[in-house]
Amino acid sequence: MAVKMFDGNGAAVEAIRLARPGVIAAYPITPQSSIAEHLADEVAAGRIDAEYVRVESEHSAMSVAVGAQLTGVRVATATASVGLALMHEVCGVAAGCRVPIVMPVVNRSLVAPWSLWCDHSDTMAERDTGWLQYYCANVQEILDLTLCAYRIAEHEDVMTPAMVCLDGFFLSHSMQRVDTPDDEAAWDFVKPYVRKNMYLDTNDVMFINDLCPTDEHSEIKYQQYVGFQEAARVTKEVFAEYEERFGRKLHTVESYRLDDADVAVVTIGSMSGTGKYVVNQLREQGVKAGLLRICMFRPFPAEEVAEALKNVKVIGVVDRSAGLGAAQGPVCTEVKAACCGTSSKIFGFCGGIAGRDISDGSFRKIFGELTDVAEGRSETCERWFDVKPNAMNIREVDVPC
Amino acid sequence: MQKIKFYGIGGQGAVTAAKVLSIAVSVYQNEYAITVPAYGHERRGAPVYAHIIVDEEPVLLNCYVYEPDIIAVFDENLIDKGVDVAEGCTEDTVVVLNTASRETAERYREACGVKKVLMCDATHAALENIGLNIPNSAMLGALAKTGVVRIESVVSAVKEAFGKHGEENGHAAEYAYEHTLEA
Repeated sequence: MAVKMFDGNGAAVEAIRLARPGVIAAYPITPQSSIAEHLADEVAAGRIDAEYVRVESEHSAMSVAVGAQLTGVRVATATASVGLALMHEVCGVAAGCRVPIVMPVVNRSLVAPWSLWCDHSDTMAERDTGWLQYYCANVQEILDLTLCAYRIAEHEDVMTPAMVCLDGFFLSHSMQRVDTPDDEAAWDFVKPYVRKNMYLDTNDVMFINDLCPTDEHSEIKYQQYVGFQEAARVTKEVFAEYEERFGRKLHTVESYRLDDADVAVVTIGSMSGTGKYVVNQLREQGVKAGLLRICMFRPFPAEEVAEALKNVKVIGVVDRSAGLGAAQGPVCTEVKAACCGTSSKIFGFCGGIAGRDISDGSFRKIFGELTDVAEGRSETCERWFDVKPNAMNIREVDVPC
Repeated sequence: MQKIKFYGIGGQGAVTAAKVLSIAVSVYQNEYAITVPAYGHERRGAPVYAHIIVDEEPVLLNCYVYEPDIIAVFDENLIDKGVDVAEGCTEDTVVVLNTASRETAERYREACGVKKVLMCDATHAALENIGLNIPNSAMLGALAKTGVVRIESVVSAVKEAFGKHGEENGHAAEYAYEHTLEA
């Protein structure tokens, strides 16, 4: 184990290198570009023994990834934002064909208007595509969770592709120290890729992803459903083995100072550390504040969330995507469903859109609103935080009548 | 905990400097850092910011710096380009400025309302040692005068980060460190 310095994208590349893929197909897109570039560097330098396929789009990248991995080789790709949206169709192919591809996704807002910056609208739009999703809190976790994702996705009871989600710029371009296992120790953990399901072999041909009649399709979906249920168990087993081997504890959900908390926030991704910082500040001031971080979003750990939050009076769930038209943002919707049998009051918060910072000040405001509800000064909370008061006048156009 | 904000212009290497500072404190001082760059579509010529938080403990905060303990201004003209370098400064904030002019240093002192301005002609240090107008390694040398990082750590990190140009960038950092004055 060595301390190395990586930015988030560098940590993703290192994890991929340690997993020794045989085929790489990636299309560069901000803020993922340095993953595509540095994977090419690693291949050129002979540190990854892979064929690098230069594709013309993300749709092609995922198509190459699915086809190549079906031959029995571990494949690497990565994307962000509209690149993921363009992959959407083929992401479904990977999931339905049970091709356990592991893909870092550097979170960036979807159009429109165009943005290069971080929010979760890209991966949240894929949340029901049939992929596992893990959201990283810091750069160390990008390495840890990517290594674990290979073991989880490729497990014979799971056979489901996995996205490792990392916040654009807040993680992808943040240089941090990363405890990195040496090559042999990592390889001993990740293990060689073994195909466990359908395969492409010119000497032994089979149909894959052909037209499936109605009288079998429900059953295929049921198989995927069971795969997700198994993934919840396998994730915990793999995290436990990872901790035993490398000494770092990973979480499906992480409780932070929740035991006696009256008010708490639920967070996901790189905002979580800032949330913990504010929890510590509030605790020093005598406020019983806590935090629950969701790392594994798919499968959603509903029972763990309900158990962790059951004694908290007022809860704020912070979504980093707009969840337009939904009763709540995607994370809050899940948390509310998980906690429907408890007496907690749960409020959704939406912010951090398209790179807007979620600062310690943001969390102090959110906790202020939650405390007001807990102490009877208020009935409800503002759903959108850190929005300009003149929001409805931004880019207003005068239309002549 | 020390909160630092870099102000630069695209092409000066301010974002790279933030990453190198992270290496300096993490690898060579066994401390911790997070860096958050804030740059846009723009590249060369446009204002660029980088936010760095350094601590002896792992850093929980992962957001921008709003109340900097130190700001490093890589280009003395930023104050005339509509960039509010005074944002969040208190009188205890230390300004590290790339300038050869005491007059300019005084202008920044007044604009930011700070007591301490460290001035260093980092552009000259860069031209002298690496032959290019890329003052980032020199600015890290000047930054070491604040005490937030040791000059030896800066030089080691610069050498590591700049590869075949590591040696001369290391010299630029040392040269700048030796030529940094309190204005």
